[in-house]
Amino acid sequence: MRVATGVRWACVMLFALLFVSCSRTKEDRQILVSAAADLRPAFSELGRLFEAESGTQVVFNFGSSGQLAQQIIGGADVDVFASANLRYVEEVERSGLMLAGTKALYARGYLAIWWPPGSPLSISRIEQLADPSIRRIAIANPRHAPYGVAAREALTRAGILSAVSSRLVFGENVAHALQFAATGNAEVAIIGLSLCLQSGGHFLRVPSTLHEPLDQALGVISTTRHPREARELAAFITGPKGRKVMAKYGFTSPGHAAKDGRRQVHHGAQP
Amino acid sequence: MTPLLLTLRVGILATCILGVVGLFLAVVLARFRFPGRVILESVINLPLILPPTVLGYYLLLLLGRGSLLYDWFGLRVIFAWPATVIASVAVGIPLMVEGARAAIESVDPALENAARTLGSSEWEVLSRITFPLARRGIIAGLILGSARAIGEFGATLMIAGNIPGETQTMPLAIYDAVQDRQYAEANLMVLIMTGLALGSLIAARWLSRRRARPEASWR
Repeated sequence: MRVATGVRWACVMLFALLFVSCSRTKEDRQILVSAAADLRPAFSELGRLFEAESGTQVVFNFGSSGQLAQQIIGGADVDVFASANLRYVEEVERSGLMLAGTKALYARGYLAIWWPPGSPLSISRIEQLADPSIRRIAIANPRHAPYGVAAREALTRAGILSAVSSRLVFGENVAHALQFAATGNAEVAIIGLSLCLQSGGHFLRVPSTLHEPLDQALGVISTTRHPREARELAAFITGPKGRKVMAKYGFTSPGHAAKDGRRQVHHGAQP
Repeated sequence: MTPLLLTLRVGILATCILGVVGLFLAVVLARFRFPGRVILESVINLPLILPPTVLGYYLLLLLGRGSLLYDWFGLRVIFAWPATVIASVAVGIPLMVEGARAAIESVDPALENAARTLGSSEWEVLSRITFPLARRGIIAGLILGSARAIGEFGATLMIAGNIPGETQTMPLAIYDAVQDRQYAEANLMVLIMTGLALGSLIAARWLSRRRARPEASWR
């Protein structure tokens, strides 16, 4: 009796161990891209286009740029790093983890104030955020998110930071900040323009004069086991096809400022 | 791999490791008196009380780039799926060890001594007398430890990251889905995790309660 039970247990164990040891090996044509959270809609589309064209599968790891840099420096097995600024890419480069010559600016991002559909708010200038009826303002955590830094900077240059600082709520990244506002837990969120274009609701572009330009850079990580595919993706993003997709999501080419036109407020769902 | 499969993988591996390592530690604590025993006990129980971020920080120091294991031994588990298992085992150990230890200590020493007088080696005493008699408590400890292991989030996030398909276990996937406002996805995963947790607690309870007949191991 005991022997039979033992044999049964051994079979279960064997099956379980076989199950856990089968994992997708990194030999597959698949690259892992750590990308800033503001890039989720744009890069998801870019990734699909790149896959269709090259046959290389792209898996994205979205997060705040600072956290992604920390992971890479801490030893994460990532192939490409697309940050929302230049500084974190340079930090990775200084740690000796960037493939020489692959650091490149790929887009300039923009800041916008977002508030949900159905909200009674009507915001046409950033200074209005000082109004006490706006109890919570969600931004990405400036400690590790470039868009959070830009948001705080914009509030400072608009002269209202001291008025609103006690009302700021930090999300892990811009997507998280958007979620706070989308659920109504915060009245507004100051996040990347690209996320606003996808999310319905209302948004108001923040004039670019209120913050340092969000020049976004990427690079190929030196420990990548797929250098060729990684370089191809980097070239795709910075090339004409990549630029076209990025433009669709509100980014401009690096170094080119968008015009801060008069009609900056948008309502309702965007295509 | 989907979060569900990743979680299952972590669960199975963590359970195996908890079973072996946890049982070993439980026997050591139950059977032996040695200087520093209280310290060992306390260290084993630390993950139960420490904030997950503190545990994660220590594991990061232990396993990340710049650590001895990474630089000298070339151990590459950080931000890769083995790290999820390590974090999970760390938080499951206290529950497994305490449950197993209590069960082992409650075995009537007279029975163990009887076996010894009849010529059994220590290993035979353990495997034929102690473990079978203590098995309900051991299994209860294992179930609780595994359930806690599968549910780990904070330490996992810090040393394994939240990498889809690689280290994004279900607790992490729920976090991601909520952040991304994919509530249908989040709801489903929350239900699964709740079901697993409830099931584990009920099973552990049921196992610990049934001590109607003392079960002899000769059969």
